[in-house]
Amino acid sequence: MMATDIDLPGLAASHDIITLGMRADDARRHLHGASTTFVRVADVAAGPGGAIQVPPSAGEVRIVGVPASRAAAVARVGEVKAAAGGYPLSGFSLSDLEALSAREQVTLRALLEELCAAGLELVAEAPFDQLGDPRRAIEEVNIAGLALARLTIGTLPEGDVVDGLKQIVALQRDVAVLRSFAPLPRRVSPVLPSTGYDDVKRVALARLVVDNIPSIQVDWALYGPKLAQVALTMGADDLDGVSAEDDAGEGRRRAPLEEIRRNIRAAGLEPIERNGRYELTGR
Amino acid sequence: MNLEQIVATVRAGGRIDAGQALRLYHEAPTALLGRLADGIRARKHPDRVVTYIIDRNVNYTNVCVARCAFCAFYRPVGSAEGYVLGFDELYRKIDETIAVGGVQLLLQGGHNPDLPLTWYEDLFRNIKARYPSFKLHALSPPEVIHLSRLSNLPVPAVLSRLIAAGMDSVPGGGAEILVDRVRKLLHCHGKASADEWLDVMRHAHRAGLRTTATMMYGTVETDEERIEHMLRLRELQDDTAGFTAFIAWSYQPDHTELAGNEATGVDYLRTLALSRIVLDNFDNVQASWVTQGGKVGQLSLAYGANDMGSVMIEENVVRAAGASYCMDEVEIVRNIEDAGFTAERRNMHYERLGGPIFRERAVPRMRELATARADGDTSVPDELKHYPARSRQGKALRVVQ
Ligand code: SF4
Repeated sequence: MMATDIDLPGLAASHDIITLGMRADDARRHLHGASTTFVRVADVAAGPGGAIQVPPSAGEVRIVGVPASRAAAVARVGEVKAAAGGYPLSGFSLSDLEALSAREQVTLRALLEELCAAGLELVAEAPFDQLGDPRRAIEEVNIAGLALARLTIGTLPEGDVVDGLKQIVALQRDVAVLRSFAPLPRRVSPVLPSTGYDDVKRVALARLVVDNIPSIQVDWALYGPKLAQVALTMGADDLDGVSAEDDAGEGRRRAPLEEIRRNIRAAGLEPIERNGRYELTGR
Repeated sequence: MNLEQIVATVRAGGRIDAGQALRLYHEAPTALLGRLADGIRARKHPDRVVTYIIDRNVNYTNVCVARCAFCAFYRPVGSAEGYVLGFDELYRKIDETIAVGGVQLLLQGGHNPDLPLTWYEDLFRNIKARYPSFKLHALSPPEVIHLSRLSNLPVPAVLSRLIAAGMDSVPGGGAEILVDRVRKLLHCHGKASADEWLDVMRHAHRAGLRTTATMMYGTVETDEERIEHMLRLRELQDDTAGFTAFIAWSYQPDHTELAGNEATGVDYLRTLALSRIVLDNFDNVQASWVTQGGKVGQLSLAYGANDMGSVMIEENVVRAAGASYCMDEVEIVRNIEDAGFTAERRNMHYERLGGPIFRERAVPRMRELATARADGDTSVPDELKHYPARSRQGKALRVVQ
C-alpha cells in the first residue's frame, strides 16, 4: 500500500501502534524484505593526539565530538586516517562544521574540502533541525567530494510529526543523496524522556512518510537493544552504532556481533553487516 | 487446526490447547499476536483503565541455601555479604512507603536457615500492630515450603500461622518454569517442584488468600515447556480462581552461575501476548518494566497487559542480575496516559483506589530505586538473638551477640 493511501494524520493521532507498525512493516518489507543491515562503528574522540583504536571488525571509524578549531579538525582527520588505513572514515556533525566554518570565517565548502583532502570520507551526520540551511549544507558535502553517512534529528521537534517528516521528503527531493534517515532524536530529555510509544510511532511514521530515503535507521547504542529491536518490526531496517569492540575482548560475555544477529533474527528478520559506505560485508 | 482457525477461535473468545498455543506462538507474526492479546485485554477491561500499585519490594534477607543457578542475589550462609534486615529497618521502609502513598510491602527473601517461623510471625504481628491497614504480600511458595521443612509442619499449618500473624496474600515468585525437567536444570527443583509450588498456591487459595502467578522464561526451557507452565497455572485457576494476576519476566543473566543471554524485547512481547491468550481465566496481566525497561514496559500495554505492576521504590534481585530501571509514580502514569489509557492506583486485589497520588498531594520524585541495605552496612539486627539459629555460622553469631 502506498503511503498516500493511508490516513497518516489519523494513524499519527491514534494510540493503535500495532496497526501503524503493521503498515510501516509492510512498507519496509516492500523495500528491503526481511534484510536488516547493521554497521559496527569504532568511535574515536575529536581532540588531536587522543587514543585511536581500530578493531579489525570495525565497518566504520567515526570521529565523534566537536572540533575545537579548523586546524584541530584537519589534524585529527589526518591522524585517524593514518591509523584507520582503508576503513571507511567518517566524522563530525555537519551542524558543528557549519558553526566552525562561520567562526573561522571560511566557507563550509572550503572546510569540507580540507577535511576531504586530509582523508575524511563521510560526514557522520547531518542533524536536520540544527542546520541553518540543510539543503545547501548537504549539497556542499557532495560538492566537496564527501558523502553523508546519515540524516539525523538533534532534538525532538515540536509540532505535527507528519508535517515535520514531509520536510525530510522535500529535502531528499532536492538533494537526492540521503541514504538513511534516523528519525529518533539524538538528544533525549533526561527529565522527560520519550516513551516507547513515542519512539516506535516516530519510526513507523518515518517509514511511511519518508518514502524517498532508502533506510530508516535506529541507533543501537543510543536507544538500546530492546527498543531498537522492536523498531525493526515497525519500519526500521538499519542499525547504526553497534560496538566494534573485538568479539574476543576481555571478559565480554556477549559479543556485539552475536548479540545483534540474535536480536535481528529473534525479530524474524535477516541480519546483514554493512560498512560505513553501505557496502554489504557479510551475513 | 490451522493458524486461521486458531486465530478465529481466540477472536471468538474460545480456549486453545497446548498444540494450538504452540502453533500460534511459532506461526503468528508478532503484530497478530499483539492484536489478539489486545482484543482480550479490551474485552476484559473495556474502560481502558491501566492500573498500578505503589508498594515496596523488600528482600528481608539475601542468605539462601537454595542456590538457584539463575540467581545473582543470594549469598551463602556465613558470607560476609549476607544480611538480615532488622524490624526497625523494615518499619523505616514502611514509613517511607506510606509517605509516597504506598499500601503494601512485597516481602520476599532467601531461604535463611537462621530465621525460624517465629521470626516471621513476630515480624508480621509487629507490623500489623503498628500499621493496621498496611498489607503484607509476603513469602513466595518456595519460602513457605522452606519454613514448612524448617519447622517440621505441613504447608497448610505454616500458612495458617502466617495468616494469623498478618500475611495478606502470597506473591507468585519462585515459579520460574513449572516443569520439573527445567527446574532440575536450574537447580531450583529442590526448593520446590512444580507440584509443590502449585500445592502451596492451592492451599493459600483454599485458606482464602489471593495470590499472583509468575513465569521466568528464557533460560533452558523449550517453547513447549513455556506453554506447559501457562497451562498448569490455567488449570489451577479453573479450580480455585485464586490468582489475581500473571507476571512474566525474562531471565536476567548477569552475575549468575547459569550466565547466557537475556531473551530479547520482541521475545518478551510475544510471550506476554501468548500468556494473555492462553491464560483466558486470568483477569490481569502485568507489564514487567523492571526487566524490560520503561519503553518496552509501556509497549506491553499494546500486547495484552492491563497493569503496570508496582512503583517498586526498592528492588534488589533483578538489579543484582544486571537490570536497573526505575520509574516512579509520575513516570508510570505518564507512560500509561501517553499510551492512551487512564491510570488508576490499585491494591493487591485489583480494587481501584483512585487516581495518581501525586495529583492529590506533593510526593517526592524518585529517580533511583532504593536498595535493601546501604553498601558496606554489615550490622546484625539486635532482635535476632531471640531466635534460635540452625546453621553453625548463625549459632556462632548469636553467641557473639
Ligand atoms: S532465587 Fe530465591 S531461592 Fe533461589 S537462590 Fe535466589 S534467593 Fe534463593
